[in-house]
Amino acid sequence: MTRVLGPFVLAALAATAARAQQADSEPRWELLVGHSYSSARALMQPATLTLEKVQGSPLYSVLDVGALVRGSVTARSWIETGLRARTGSARPSGQQVFGAMARVFGELDPVLVAVGGEYQANGGFDVHALDATAELTPLGGLPGLGTWVSPALHLRWRPWIGTAVGDGVRPYVRLSADWVQGRLEAGIEETAWLVAGSGRSFVKGDISFQLVGGLSVTASGESGRSPPTWERTGRIGLGLGFRLAP
Amino acid sequence: MRRRDERGHSWTNRGVERAVIRIVRRLSPGFARRPISRKTRLHQDLGWDEYYPLRVVRPIRATLHVSLDDHLVLRLRTVGDLVACVWNAMEVPA
Repeated sequence: MTRVLGPFVLAALAATAARAQQADSEPRWELLVGHSYSSARALMQPATLTLEKVQGSPLYSVLDVGALVRGSVTARSWIETGLRARTGSARPSGQQVFGAMARVFGELDPVLVAVGGEYQANGGFDVHALDATAELTPLGGLPGLGTWVSPALHLRWRPWIGTAVGDGVRPYVRLSADWVQGRLEAGIEETAWLVAGSGRSFVKGDISFQLVGGLSVTASGESGRSPPTWERTGRIGLGLGFRLAP
Repeated sequence: MRRRDERGHSWTNRGVERAVIRIVRRLSPGFARRPISRKTRLHQDLGWDEYYPLRVVRPIRATLHVSLDDHLVLRLRTVGDLVACVWNAMEVPA
């Protein structure tokens, strides 16, 4: 039952948020399109369409894309709701991921707190996960945390610590970092979970060269095990990236 | 022209700009000797990430006595946007 209701619960959350927003006299919704919505860093990564050649196999496509709609709830909080897909012909259905989520943020300086719900399924929709999540990050205060280390070194990082509650309790930590130099951007994000007493981790990274507008040439890679299937994956690809943000 | 903050203190637009730039400079280590103006971009020039601009909310409330909407702060792109945001939140004297 939980599996069936997952998307509807999230849709209801989003609808509730929309109603709350309509009470605001100034509509302030924005659309952001990026690689994923798992973190601030992931949002800044481009959505990627990559072509891969694997030995003994034809040329395959890999698509990673996510979109978020964000709007205010109260003066000190806002909501994000979105969809994401990790798919393409290079990924068997067991490794494809589709997800939807709604998350409410509250700024309690010196930390930012996020509470939300997320539904994830594999490509065949035979593995599902519905989780409630709570996570926080310090807004700043250490060198490079949320802002460049220095005017000469355009490197910044951000940690998150949280817990997902669904089919069990999974504490996790996430660390992201990105570096910018002119049109060149590089980023890496690693998440580590504690699942049933054992550790699992997933790391992804990208290097992008901005062409024009939100378009870039992007090399990306990933390795490790991630929900909902926790299957071990690893790939490196080269393709086009796209990012839309106001 | 002058405006009043939530405690009734009177501000000029130039005074608001100076106070905002002081706050932005304090939150930007390494930029002490770099010029910061209305045109300075929070993300591209100062390197602030998605959530870092929220750090201005508390000092602006303490110094300029103005409460800013978090979601509005997240959408600011330049120091000038922040100055305008604070200025617009102040009361125009009758």
